[in-house]
This record gives sequence, C-alpha cells and structure tokens, in this order.
Amino acid sequence: MDLTSLSNPLVTLDQLSSSSSQLDGLSTELENSIRFGGVQLTEAAGVLLRLPQEVIAQAVVIFTRFYTGPEGGSFLINPVKDVSAASLYMIAKISAIPQTPRSVLNVYAYLSLTAPKSRMDAPSDRQRPDPESHYLTTGAYLAARTTLLQTEAMILRALSFITKVVVPHHLALTFLQTLGVLPSPPTSKSRALAGRTISHLNTGLFSPQLLYLTHQPTALAVAAIYVAAKEIGVNLPCSEWWEVFDVDREELGFLVVGLGSSRLWAEQESRKWVEGKCPLTVEEIMLEMERGREVQ
Amino acid sequence: MASPMLNGSSHSPIGTALVHKNQPSKRSLELLPNGQPRFHGCSSIKRYNIVSKLGEGTFGEVYKAVSLKTNRAVALKKILMHHEKEGFPITALREIKLLKLLSHPNILKLEEVVVERKKEENNRRAILYMVTPYMDHDLSGLLENPAVRFSEPQIKCYMLQLLQGLQFLHASKILHRDMKAANLLINNEGVLQIADFGLARPYDDPAPEPGKGGGEATRDYTTMVVTRWYRPPELLLHLRRYTTAVDMWGVGCVFGEMFKGRPILMGNSDLDQAQKIFALVGSPTEDNMPGWSLLPGCDGVTTFEQKPNALHQAFREQGSSAISLLNELLKLDWRKRINAMDAIKHPYFTQVPLPAKPGDLPRFEDSHELDRRKFRGQKAAPPPAPAGGTVGMGPNGDFTHGVGPPNHHLSGYRGGNGNYPNGQGQYGPRRDHYDGRQQVPPVYDHRNPASHGPPPHRPTWARDVNGLPPGPGLPPRPPGPPPSAVTWGGQGRAPLVREDSRGGQPNGARDTYIPSYAANRENRDRVYRGRDCEQRNDDRGDRGRYDDRREQGPRELGRRRSRSPDIPRDRDRNRETYRR
Ligand SMILES: Nc1ncnc2c1ncn2[C@@H]1O[C@H](COP(=O)(O)OP(=O)(O)OP(=O)(O)O)[C@@H](O)[C@H]1O
Ligand SMILES: [Mg+2]
Repeated sequence: MDLTSLSNPLVTLDQLSSSSSQLDGLSTELENSIRFGGVQLTEAAGVLLRLPQEVIAQAVVIFTRFYTGPEGGSFLINPVKDVSAASLYMIAKISAIPQTPRSVLNVYAYLSLTAPKSRMDAPSDRQRPDPESHYLTTGAYLAARTTLLQTEAMILRALSFITKVVVPHHLALTFLQTLGVLPSPPTSKSRALAGRTISHLNTGLFSPQLLYLTHQPTALAVAAIYVAAKEIGVNLPCSEWWEVFDVDREELGFLVVGLGSSRLWAEQESRKWVEGKCPLTVEEIMLEMERGREVQ
Repeated sequence: MASPMLNGSSHSPIGTALVHKNQPSKRSLELLPNGQPRFHGCSSIKRYNIVSKLGEGTFGEVYKAVSLKTNRAVALKKILMHHEKEGFPITALREIKLLKLLSHPNILKLEEVVVERKKEENNRRAILYMVTPYMDHDLSGLLENPAVRFSEPQIKCYMLQLLQGLQFLHASKILHRDMKAANLLINNEGVLQIADFGLARPYDDPAPEPGKGGGEATRDYTTMVVTRWYRPPELLLHLRRYTTAVDMWGVGCVFGEMFKGRPILMGNSDLDQAQKIFALVGSPTEDNMPGWSLLPGCDGVTTFEQKPNALHQAFREQGSSAISLLNELLKLDWRKRINAMDAIKHPYFTQVPLPAKPGDLPRFEDSHELDRRKFRGQKAAPPPAPAGGTVGMGPNGDFTHGVGPPNHHLSGYRGGNGNYPNGQGQYGPRRDHYDGRQQVPPVYDHRNPASHGPPPHRPTWARDVNGLPPGPGLPPRPPGPPPSAVTWGGQGRAPLVREDSRGGQPNGARDTYIPSYAANRENRDRVYRGRDCEQRNDDRGDRGRYDDRREQGPRELGRRRSRSPDIPRDRDRNRETYRR
C-alpha cells in the first residue's frame, strides 16, 4: 500500500507553541481542560449516534486541529459544542454512514442537558433517555442547523479542505496480526492485547500534547502495541520489532511516555470537573477565567 | 425571522455573526493585533484572472483562469451548493478528499479550493471553486473536432495513460464510476488525466490482482452511477455488488470511441442501452455472463433477443490485437473483464505501430464544451489545419497530423528507454517521461511546510494568505419546493414521514425524522440512526450528487454528450433507494 495514504498532515512547531485561545487570554491549563471536555463531548455524541470508533476518532482529530495554532479557532469565539457537532457531522458525511443534521443535533441537544462525566458513561442502549426530553422543536432545529452548517463551512475553510484523517486503530490490529500475536481463534490474552491497544489509542485522543497532531498513525499504533504488550505481558517477537514498521526508538519512547501520561491526565481531568461541569460554552469559559483571576 | 437561512448577518465572515450575536464585545478577538484577520484558510479567487468559460449547463460551471502568482493556466470548477439543508455537498467533499489523496501523472491534480465572496442584496455568500491545472482538451471535445483523427500510436498512447491512471486508482481502492471521454482531459503535451471524481468512492473490497479481472465484491454499492453510454451491462441489470470492472467497461467504450470518433453505444434509455450493448457484444447467456439471469434486470425487462457478438464486424478496420483488447474490455462477464494492470500488458501495446510518446503527439485547438459548439455540423466539412500547426511534430519532423493516413511511421519510438510501454504497469519508472513537464508534488507537506509553497509559520490548513474565511456559502433557499420530483416537508414544519415500512430508511441526506416521538419504540430508535444503514447510506452520497445537478429535461436528446447519471435518474431515485 502506498504510504502517503497512511499518513496525516502534522502540525508545525509554531502551531504548537501558541493558539488562538491563548491569544484570547486563556491559560494553557484551562485550554487543555476545555479541549478535554470537547473531545469527551464529541466521543459521547459519536457513541450515541452509534458511529464506529474510527469515525469518532477522525472527528476528534478534526475538532482538535481546528483549535490548534494561532490561526486556528478560539474557544472564546467558536463554541466547543458547535465545532464538535460540525466535526462529527462533516466526518460522518464522508464516511460510510452519514448522519442527518437532525440526528446530530438531537444528540447534542440531549448531551447539553446531561453531559456525561466521561465517555465511559455514555448511556448504553438500555439506558437511552427519552427522546422527548431532547427533541428539538422545528424553530430550534432550523436555527441549530444553520449554525451547524455554517460551522461546517468554517471548519472546512479553516482546514483548507484537508479532511483526511488517518487514525491508527485499524493499522494497529494489522500490525498485531503481522507480529503474529493475534491467533485465530483468539485467546483471552490476545483479545486483551487487542483491547488494550485500542484503548490506549483512544486515550491518546485526549492527549494535551496533541499526539494525533504531532505523530503519524504508524507511530501511534506501534506505541500503543508496545504499552499494551508490556501491561499484559505478551512477548513480541524480536527485540526491535518497531523498526519493521519504520518507527525509531526515540519516537517510540516519546509516545510511550505520552500515552501513559495521557491516561493519568484524563483521569485527573475527569476528577477535576466532577462537581463543577467543565466549562464549554463561551460564557462558562469567561466565568471560569474570571474565577481564575480572582483566585490569584 | 421567516427562515434562518435568510438571516443576512449569518453569512458574514467567520466569527462576526456566527458566534457573537450576543457578545459584540468579543469582536476584536477575531483580529490579530496588527488588524489582520486571524484565520486564513482558503485563498481568494482574486488570485486568479478568469479568462473564459469552459463549460456550463451539463456540469455547473468551469472556467479557465490564470494564476496571478504563477502565471499558469488553471481550471476553476464551481462547487454547486444546491442543498443547503445538508451543508457542504457530500460529492464535492468526497471529490476534494480523494483528489487531495491521489497523486499520479494521469490523475488530475487538485491544487486548492478557493473562495469567491459575493454580495447579494444584504446577503454575503461564498462560492467555492476547485482549482486544477488547465488541460487543453477533454477527449470528448477533441474527438468532436473535425480536424482531429487519431492515429493508432496516439490512441495507444492515450489508452496506456488511461490504464496507468486507472491501475493506480484501483490499486488505491477507489472506484471512479464516471468513466467517459468528457472526463478524460488531455493537454498539448499529450498527457492524459482522469478527471471528475464527483461519483468516485472508496472501494471496500480487495484491489484487482493480475489475471483475475476485477475480482468479486462483497459489499453493495449504488447502481445509479456511470453515464449511460458508458454504463456496463451489470449496472444496467442492477448488480449491486459490482467491482472495479465497471470502470474497465468505460475504458472499452472510450477505446472504441477513439476509433470511431464518436461514442459507440448511444442508448436513449437504459433498456435501449442494454439492447445496444447486446447487439454489439452478444446477448447474455449463462456462459458469457454467469448469473445474469438472477439480476434484477433492466427496467423490469429480463429477457433479451438472442444476438451474436458483432464486435469484429463493427471494428473490422482495426487490427486483431485492437479487437482482442476491445473484446477483453467489453466482456459481459464482469468477473472476467480484464483489469487495468493486465490490459497494460496486452500485446496491443507492444505490437507495431508502437504507442507514441506523449510529447510527440500533435497539438490541437483547445476543445471544451463551449468550444465544441462551433464544430457542430462541421464534421463533414473540409478539416482546417490543426491549430498547433507544426508545434507537435515528431522527432523526425515528419509528423503531420489530421485527416491524413494513420501516421504509423511516427512510432519510431520503440520504448527505447525501456520504460514505455511499461510492462510492469508501474507508474514509478514512467515518471521520467513526465518529469519537467508535469510535477507530481506530494499532496501534503508533512513535517516541513517550508519545503515547498507555504511560509513556515502557516498552519497546515491555512497555507494561503489572502482571505479571511468568509461566511458559509449557503445560498438562500428559493421559495417553493426543491426541483426534485418529490416534495419534502416545507420550511415551516417538520418534514413528513417519508420512511417506508422497513423503518429507519435514511432517505437521502434529507430529514426523514418523525417529528413526534410519541409514536412507537421503533420510531424512537431512529433518533440515533444505527449502523445497520451502512449500505443504504452509500446511496445517499450519490443521490446528493444527482441533486447537485441541474434539471436536464428533454434537451438531452439534442446533445452529443451523454451526461453523468443525473436527472433522468432523479425520478427513479426513490424506487431505487428502496430496491436495494
Ligand atoms: N482542469 C481542466 N482543464 C480544462 N478543462 C476542464 C478541466 N476540468 C474540467 N474541465 C472541463 O469541464 C468539464 C466538466 O468538468 P468535470 O467533469 O470535472 O465536471 P462535472 O460537473 O463533474 O461534470 P459531469 O457532469 O460530466 O460529471 C470537462 O468535461 C472539461 O471539458
Ligand atoms: Mg464530468
């Protein structure tokens, strides 16, 4: 397979060193928290829409790209909810399972009432809430749709129509197969290995280091496999197996640390906003900034 | 507010109205300290000087323009926004995504998407254009030029390039689904490129393998693709599990068209198309098209008059290897139809006369949709000299093109470099031929944006300096129902239920939600539409495509070009959706 099809455009150093939100006076810490909340929201909406994880992950990357760099969007200008919804809507549109604006907006209406604390809390089929509670009236729907489509157009232009996002999930499973650690029928250990690998990749989506914007999918896949294999105690064939996938030791080392700290950080964030909801609307963010100033 | 779509302020540039309706104090945030807009995104159409219109009607609008920066000629294709209810058209989104992904000398390169801001009354709207390098001709226009008759080395040269491009496309697991002469662009350097990815989509089954035709598909796709005259028999009979072989049929049609100077199968209805095909290559039997009788059939017709294969007769002026290749391409059995990599290796390309080198082909007067009107009815008239005169001479200076005898002597080019035709069917080595003539830069700058083009501080998605992203280009909706045959719920109320009893049927990208959830549980489930719609959803994109086109009524009859599947199918749309 042609390698360019497995790679993503990455961010530049400049884009990492500053952001629109920071220019607007947001602290890095609060910015990271809001991004975390936005990623969580996108995940939760994707789960409710029953989108496959790969599609959700692509939307998360689009969401994250949009807010990155001094020329990206700002959390103080472009509401998290709108950008999250439009990212999901746009990515689903070019996936095998497009969603109507109506489905997407209903889901966001629901989520704005009951923001789940973490994506693990997204309601299962059984607990799905009564749609009456979040069904949008025609007027509200039309207004929301206008915003949705405007935001979609804005994201597309801000990203110069680069809508391609390669996520490493599928790749990681292929690598595991190549490494001969996914026997068929699967063993409980191989199942656990695959599961942990994917779960590390999902955690990486929350990374405050923007791992998905700074590293290619092959590297992410290799790092997730490395961490998962260590955890589960699966021996991978040769000592330098990552070289086979063109990932060097240095990058692998960085990502292993990055994935590990993403997890700690995600747990910490989930705890942090347990009582007060993570600020996501422009108003909430402004309030939070005020509070921050008072504390100082 | 009558309709939110008409809210003028909502069309203004990013941020000014979008977010700050209630927060005017934030406006300053959209500007950098130096007063520059903070977002860059797409550049403005102002960087191009529009020269002329290349086409209109059939396909929205395409313009020829010159880049003020590079001075190179480009084509600007307008992205039609007919369905503001769904936002950015799914077909355009797919086309842009695919074109950005693909980088091959025989595939049209998308340079960028630019935006034009129009002020209409108190509305600002943005119109988007896809920018591609200007190509002097499309094959259909070229063939319509009475001064043009292709020599065999020239046909071989174009065919090889077409096959190389398709081989790459199929190896990249993409179906083009609109192969036809009008979508093949040719420049005066003799380079052929596949264009118009508006119907293309990723192919979810294995890429073709040597000797195995298009293989078998496991997944259903919509059959409402490919312009009728180029539509393969399996699509006319509504096979949903089709393969890359659908594109190969189109190649066969184009091949024949290059010999005849006009499309070889010009059916005036789907049924007529099928009958014309069977009259040319023989009617289907369990032998030549196993499983055909199990297919849904064409417009309800499942039996056809017995006809023998008449290809030899129809192309009797051609050599046996040409007919043999044509036979392979126009095979009724899609599993046995030759694939691109095998076709490249067909003896036709290694027998004399050998394929011409692209650079040695003659130049012609530009031919596009609008130009060709002037040729109409001229085909029989004495051919004027090709515009390029002697510019495109062969190496020996003896190449005269036009209506003369075939220029077999041109074939002095014997693949002396050993790489053309390339038996391996790899495009790698063949690049040499294009080098210097045609750049094949990487699609993206990965880590080092300074390596070409954009200044280093640009975000990857904001390479262009010029415009601040404008307001969303959603044209106000005209009053009254959309132009399709079906009326959808008006603006004022929620759309009516339009789902059939199967439930959950996603009806296009339209809103088909049941406005009240008081109904049964089945209805509720539709709020979050499930994955089970995967297949049907394939149709949605394509229908979007038809929707993007203009109503094309009976005018079609008078035209020489067959259109991409569009409006005639609009009518069938619902039936089709439910058929599955
Ligand atoms: N890069 C280009 N250079 C020159 N002419 C072009 C170029 N791109 C498109 N054209 C002209 O415009 C026509 C339409 O372009 P294209 O096929 O991409 O648009 P479309 O609207 O999708 O068409 P269709 O209705 O056939 O699907 C082509 O047949 C060709 O004549
Ligand atoms: Mg076309």
